[in-house]
Amino acid sequence: MKLTRLRLDQLKQFRQPLEIRDLTDGINLFVGPNESGKSTLVRAIRAAFFERYKSSSVDDLQPWGDTSATPEIELEFDWQGEHWTLNKRFLGKKRCDLKVGSQHFSGEEAEEKLAEMLGYQFPGRGASKAEHWGIPGLLWVEQGAVQDIQGPVSHAGEHLQSALGQSLGEVASSGGDELIARVEKERAELLTTTGKETKDYKKVLEDYRHSRERLDALNQSVEQYRQQVDQLGVLIEQKQTIDAARPWEEQRRKADTAKTQLNEVQRWQSEQRQDQQALDNCRQSQAVYRQQLKDFENQQHQLTQRAEDKAKAEAQLQECRDRRPQLEKRRADAEKAYEQARSRREQARHQAERTRLQQQIDELADRQSQQADALKQATELQVALKKLHAQQPDKDIDPAALAQLKRTEQALSELVIRQKALATRLNYELEPEQSITVGDEAVTGEGETLLVEATELHIPGIGRLRIQPGGTDVADLLRQQEALQSEQANLQRRLDIESFEEGEQRAADSQRLAQAIKHEQARLDILAPKGVDALRTTAEQDGARLETLRAQWAQLPEVQADVTSEENAEADLEAARAELKRAEDALNQHQQQQGLAEQASANAHAEWDKLNAELQAPDRKAREEQANKELTELKAREHQLTTAIDARQKQIDAAQPEVLEQDIERFTKSANAMETQARERAQNIRDLQVRLEEQGAQGLEEKRDEEAQINQRLAQRRDELTRRAQALDLLLKLLKDKRQALTRQLQAPLQKHLNHYLKLLFPQAHLSVDENLMPTTLTRPQGTGEEQGDLPSLSYGAREQMGLISRLAYADLLREAGKPTLIILDDALVHSDSQRLDQMKRILFDAARRHQVLLFSCHPENWRDLGATPKDLQALKVGYSAPASGDRGAERGGAASSNC
Amino acid sequence: MPRFLHTADWQIGRQYSRFAEEDASILADARFTAIETLAALATEQAVDAVLVAGDVFDAQNLSDRTIHRTFQAMAGFTGPWLLLPGNHDAALAESVWTHAQRLSAVPDNVDLLLTPEVRVYQDLGFAVLPAPLTQRQTYNDLTEWFDRADTPEGLLRIGLAHGSVEGQLAEEIDSTNPIAADRAATARLDYLALGDWHGYKTIDARTRYSGTPEQERFKDNGAGQALIVDIERPGAEPQVQSHTTGQFQWIKHQDTLAVASDIERLMTELDALPPRSVVDLTLNGEVDLSGYQTLLHYLGGAEARHRSFQSHLSGLNLIPTEEDIAALHADGYVGEVIGELRERQEGQGEEADTARTALAILAGMLRENGTTSESEQVESAK
Repeated sequence: MKLTRLRLDQLKQFRQPLEIRDLTDGINLFVGPNESGKSTLVRAIRAAFFERYKSSSVDDLQPWGDTSATPEIELEFDWQGEHWTLNKRFLGKKRCDLKVGSQHFSGEEAEEKLAEMLGYQFPGRGASKAEHWGIPGLLWVEQGAVQDIQGPVSHAGEHLQSALGQSLGEVASSGGDELIARVEKERAELLTTTGKETKDYKKVLEDYRHSRERLDALNQSVEQYRQQVDQLGVLIEQKQTIDAARPWEEQRRKADTAKTQLNEVQRWQSEQRQDQQALDNCRQSQAVYRQQLKDFENQQHQLTQRAEDKAKAEAQLQECRDRRPQLEKRRADAEKAYEQARSRREQARHQAERTRLQQQIDELADRQSQQADALKQATELQVALKKLHAQQPDKDIDPAALAQLKRTEQALSELVIRQKALATRLNYELEPEQSITVGDEAVTGEGETLLVEATELHIPGIGRLRIQPGGTDVADLLRQQEALQSEQANLQRRLDIESFEEGEQRAADSQRLAQAIKHEQARLDILAPKGVDALRTTAEQDGARLETLRAQWAQLPEVQADVTSEENAEADLEAARAELKRAEDALNQHQQQQGLAEQASANAHAEWDKLNAELQAPDRKAREEQANKELTELKAREHQLTTAIDARQKQIDAAQPEVLEQDIERFTKSANAMETQARERAQNIRDLQVRLEEQGAQGLEEKRDEEAQINQRLAQRRDELTRRAQALDLLLKLLKDKRQALTRQLQAPLQKHLNHYLKLLFPQAHLSVDENLMPTTLTRPQGTGEEQGDLPSLSYGAREQMGLISRLAYADLLREAGKPTLIILDDALVHSDSQRLDQMKRILFDAARRHQVLLFSCHPENWRDLGATPKDLQALKVGYSAPASGDRGAERGGAASSNC
Repeated sequence: MPRFLHTADWQIGRQYSRFAEEDASILADARFTAIETLAALATEQAVDAVLVAGDVFDAQNLSDRTIHRTFQAMAGFTGPWLLLPGNHDAALAESVWTHAQRLSAVPDNVDLLLTPEVRVYQDLGFAVLPAPLTQRQTYNDLTEWFDRADTPEGLLRIGLAHGSVEGQLAEEIDSTNPIAADRAATARLDYLALGDWHGYKTIDARTRYSGTPEQERFKDNGAGQALIVDIERPGAEPQVQSHTTGQFQWIKHQDTLAVASDIERLMTELDALPPRSVVDLTLNGEVDLSGYQTLLHYLGGAEARHRSFQSHLSGLNLIPTEEDIAALHADGYVGEVIGELRERQEGQGEEADTARTALAILAGMLRENGTTSESEQVESAK
């Protein structure tokens, strides 16, 4: 689409017609200062398309204060090989005419045709707003709005998708998004976004569940009721068939018969018990008499036994008495032996003491004589040492000084050798009798002299020769020699010697003397380690002790020769004491034995006396006879009783009393059980009838059926809602999926165009596009990584640039889809710095190769290098169409940061 | 010449859970109305007695009100009503009958035949041999004792039984409560009035099922009638005439749609049904979207015309045509969604049902959208 001509009349500040011709492909740059009419021009173009010619909400188009004006806009453009002319008049004389080639449209038909072509819509009533602008809203950017991309893209969304959709093979849907919103709304009435049931739906589910629970409970009650009815039927039948015959009475009769039989048997058993008792008594009496007779017999035997015991005790006592004298003698002997042993041990002790003292005396006397010798030698050594010490100071010499002297002498002799080597040799061979004087010395014959210093040679008769030895070393050596000789003399003086040899001699003597002293001192230390005085004191002390010991020895008594040793004497004494103890113990023991024997003998006597007296009693014979007679009678009675008991027991056993008792119990219990059962049955029947009557009155089954009906309806409702929810869910999913698939198909080409522009601004950057074809995130390389930023988070300038790039990318996309594109930028990019602006200009220039661009600016200096001839609006206004001067803008401009 | 009214299977207390609440209560009420109709018929026909051959009540445990209403509905005929317990209202130890007796709801002219013993109506000229069920089910022929039972000379012998005549009711071959097919002959009965089979059925000249007086199933077997039975004298062949007593006809209609014109045909057929019926419609096959809309529109009208009109369309696949899609403006991906749903609805499972419903919802929305946007355009044009 290419706009070729534009004409305004009676529109805002253009009270007079303004015509702009010769619009070119690519960029058309309009410049002018503030209020020169740029925005009016933009407003006029927008009004021509967006506003209904009939609209009464466009009075802002009239020149100020002129309410009778008819704002008029005429546009000419080429599109798809045809020339289009649009003439639109508002307010005063409303009209709209559109000529396309030879065709002519007017009024709303013309407006709709344009709207469809460019992809926008008209408002229902009132002025056109952003949401109606569609695709032009995206490509025609108002002042300061280029950075806002969200709104325009969403307003254009549907138009974009339907416009672009055609190029994608009819996949877009005209009403799709609206439909999705509708389905979402319907679904939201049943399901939450996460697929949970919503309030009403949930209530139906709950109602159903509660109804189901009630129904189950009722079913159970009905089932219970039926079971009880059946039970009642069974009970009533049993009552009629069983209880009517009173079967328990027969049982009671049987029990009575058995009871009569049992009573008879019990009487026999009682008699039997009495006889048995009598028999037991009879047998016990017999035993008593038998025991009595046996006792009589036993007493005779006992008397004999006791006589024997008495004799035995007396014999034992006598034996005991006989043993006493022997034991007493043994003790006396032992006492005597003990006394003797004790005396012998005393003597042995004295002898041992004497021997010990004698030994000490001998040892001490011996030591005293040794100490006297040592003392004598030590005293002599002490004198000799004193003498040696007196000699020592004369021979003493400082060894360090001596060593120094030795080194000095060596240095001197080395020096002499070097002097000899360096000295001027004067060989001479004089005529006999002739002599010369060398230095102060007269020389004759032949020989050699070393000259180490300037020397005068006086040859008599001839004169004097002065010989100066060459080189400096000779003189230096001479000076060193003098220094060394001086040191030598000093050292000898200090050491008080004439020569080094003498010093060495003295050093050797001193060493020898020191050794002698050391030797003598060692000997003295051996003899008197603690000194000679200590040695002397010890000797005197030993002498005193010897005197004391000798006095002690003299006081001890003399002893016999055959005395045994002290140890033997002690052992003998111990043996004697043991023997004495044993003898005394034996005697004591015997005395006890004798006491016991006397007691036993007395007891035996007493027992025999007592039994003997008893046997001799007078009524004993009569008692024995009486006992024998009673025993015989008792035996006869026992026989009689045993016979009677045996006969009766046979009778009892035959009657089987236990079985009879069981029979009674069994028959009685049976009768009771039968009666109880009948009573219970009757009671149960009454209970059941009452209960069933109560339940019957509730109309359980009817209630159950009613509940079933409710339940069935709820189930139906639930199923309907469930099916609808599932259907809406499916529908929404399918719609979204398909839409997303479509969006993906659209995203790729848009992305391509975006990147095309973006790489001119930020190489390697990437602007992502979401499913609504909205640019979202800018990713730029940053160091080694990446920097990501959502569009709204970018700086104002960057947002502006991204906004423009996105719009251009959309334009490219539309153009590829064969849609008309016209780009209008009213003072765009005022926030971009000069470097970015340069890049953006490259981008704009690139875009302008494919799209016509109308660019309005109050900063002409910013756009001089855009490759377009600026049109100065002010000049156009006064009908003077000349290139605008950029310099004037630059004078005013400065930083282009404010809107015009 | 004794004259009887033979009816059975009133099934009082039956609930109709498959219907809408309002319809269900009207259908339940219709059963009471049927008794009134029977009473009126009995009076009009001047019968000597009304024989009710079992299943007077649908359940044992009914509310006092239902029991009272039942007996009160009989007031229109003051002659004897002979009520026989059937399998639904068997004469158990505790039953709807004992309940009714306790309530004193049973009028004097109503005889409850709770025990299997001969009842002699000497003045009226007949003796009754009843075979009441005293258990819910039995596998014995309860009418067997009829063969051995003596009745006074000169009286008609009328049998009353409830169950399945052996070998006659194919669908219920193994059913319980059997009755020998030749019982009327072996027991020398003049007439054997039967209940249990809800349709009208003649077993032989002396043995018949009267059917229920008010239809309650989708079965076309002559339900909704009562029989007037005339017997000249003992041994004479009964003269039987049927009278319609039912209010509502129950109609089950099934159809398969294949081509567009089938809808037209179906509507014609449905138009021909008697009004105020209880209709159950099941459709299978395929239909395009416009046809579907037409159908829904028609069914809406039909629902109003009938007592109850239930339609089952889950067997009907929606096949949108190109014209449908164009008419719905279902371009782009919405068109694809329609295509996908169309494929998914094939088959029988739950998923197919969901897809079918989804397709119907989508079509509905698109249609509404179309009409709104059109109306919007019209409005904005103004």
